[in-house]
Amino acid sequence: MFFHIVLERNMQLHPRYFGRNLRDHLVTKLMKDVEGTCSGRHGFVVAITGIESVGKGLIRDGTGFVTFPVKYQCIVFRPFKGEILEAVVTMVNKMGFFAEAGPVQMFVSNHLIPDDMEFQSGDVPNYTTSDGSVKIQKDSEVRLKIIGTRVDATEIFCIGTIKDDFLGVINDPATI
Amino acid sequence: MREDSSDAADDFGAILAAALESDSEEDIAVLDSKRVRMCKEEENAKTDESQSSASLGFSESNSDISKDKACSHHGEFMKGLCVVCGEMHPMPSSGVAFRYIHPDLMLANSEIDQRRARDTEKLLSQKKLYLILDLDHTLLNSTPLSLMTHEEYLKAREDSLQDVSKGSLFVLPHMHIATKLRPFVRTFLEEASAMFEMYIYTMGARPYALEMANLLDPDKKYFDARVISRDDGTQRHQKGLDVILGEESAVLVLDDTENAWTKHKDNLILMERYHYFSSSCRQFGFTCKSHSQLEHDESKPDGALATAISVLNQLHSTFFAVFEAEPSVADVRQVLKSLQKGILKGCRLVFSRVFPTKFPVESHPVWRMAEQLGATCSERMEQTVTHVVAMDAGTGKSRWAVKEKKFLVNPGWVEACYYGWKRQPEDRFHLACLLSGFYYEGIGTLSGAGPVGKSSCDGADPNVDVPASPLVR
Repeated sequence: MFFHIVLERNMQLHPRYFGRNLRDHLVTKLMKDVEGTCSGRHGFVVAITGIESVGKGLIRDGTGFVTFPVKYQCIVFRPFKGEILEAVVTMVNKMGFFAEAGPVQMFVSNHLIPDDMEFQSGDVPNYTTSDGSVKIQKDSEVRLKIIGTRVDATEIFCIGTIKDDFLGVINDPATI
Repeated sequence: MREDSSDAADDFGAILAAALESDSEEDIAVLDSKRVRMCKEEENAKTDESQSSASLGFSESNSDISKDKACSHHGEFMKGLCVVCGEMHPMPSSGVAFRYIHPDLMLANSEIDQRRARDTEKLLSQKKLYLILDLDHTLLNSTPLSLMTHEEYLKAREDSLQDVSKGSLFVLPHMHIATKLRPFVRTFLEEASAMFEMYIYTMGARPYALEMANLLDPDKKYFDARVISRDDGTQRHQKGLDVILGEESAVLVLDDTENAWTKHKDNLILMERYHYFSSSCRQFGFTCKSHSQLEHDESKPDGALATAISVLNQLHSTFFAVFEAEPSVADVRQVLKSLQKGILKGCRLVFSRVFPTKFPVESHPVWRMAEQLGATCSERMEQTVTHVVAMDAGTGKSRWAVKEKKFLVNPGWVEACYYGWKRQPEDRFHLACLLSGFYYEGIGTLSGAGPVGKSSCDGADPNVDVPASPLVR
């Protein structure tokens, strides 16, 4: 799920950036530092949408760097148990398949793939129905439901299922 | 860990609430409509959030009560999450990590047993067995580039990495190694793939294993993801079948190092080592010339891999003959044993000066080898003795053998029978070879020109150093 929230971060800036463009430098550095990162608490920071406030800078002893507390608005992405997501399949093996929705890695075990789909090994490993009408392979797009998450400090990992109504392949690369 | 995530969710809710408040206080010139929409979103988010954290809390208490009951299906874990219900579980103590399939995959023993039974049944129905292949000295020989100083000339002969399927000598500058594939290996893999599901199992590191798999199998036909390196095993310096998803009764192993498979000797087909580079010979303490120095590779039609494939063929057909008659008793280890037992059946061996005095003879490698081949070993001279295995023509037993017209051979004969999977002609292993310094003339001829030296003992150059084989030393 996506959220638009305000976060705070202490930014350290080298004195050489002090000048008219200080704020711009601060924002550029903030984007570089924060966008694409993941915190277990908030999920993945997708994009910074605006700066709320920049606090008073504090000169650090010894280094000359200045720390600014910056409040910024950003869009974060955090998957939850029970959520339905669309994802791209990245790897298929006999244990199941891996998929990712943006930065989130997900695994769907072969226990949670419909029973009529069989694993086929070979050049392009895949899960196929007996009549061959539905095929899950690398780069397939699937809709899945998250049944479990593991949230670490810098990573979120999910277990998903496609064994439910309206879940499964939504776009097959082979048929394009 | 589950607690962490619910904590995090709670925190997140609190932060959202704070954010909402601060938003309402702020007086920033944003379009009203946008602001309203945003607030709404956040409120929605907040309710969702509290719901989800509630559900997390619920499942937590629930799972605590019914952990044992609900856990009956928990056998497969990805990063600690059960793949069936998504619950976080402490790792079962009796599980095995299957890192070669996925770095974070862990299976509990019960699940492994189930999978083994299922996968094996499926494979047997396709008339296939499992085959575990070692890399170094079995399928190929690699050397660090830094040790190739005497073999610079080989670099000129390297095959292109563009079309891997044609070449056999490769220099991989990014890995700092040079690799020579054993002659016949491509035919071997092709033929074996029809009878076996093949794994690579090497004591090398993972990147090396994958690189070699790519050289052997550029089209990814044979191994798929079944490449196991030392990082994936469960015990240091040991290889084991516990990371193979197949019943032990259907697994064959091809390796050159017996000590790596202490627990699964019955599955092992021991291979003669392939030394192409001189550094590889030196590493094993041989001072002889390597294949590269002799400019003479192992022979293709009757090298070790050709022997191996014919043995595998026999094992495969014998196994499935048994399997079709009585599926429950079919065991490839028994088939392997009985095939090996037939090689020197009926031979009675007596040894002379092969073992050091006071050595427990039954545990000597040559003795064990002979017994594995079905020969009867004894220490006393009897009329029933057929072969005298000796190191010296002057001993009493040797002279007796000449007088009684028994076969008089050097220990290399036993080894040659073992690796060649058939009884070798005895006259090629007479003791004169020992005089000229060749223990293993036999093996030399067997595989074209082994690293052990040129084959013929007549007129052999006595100055050529001969390897002290680890077996006879």
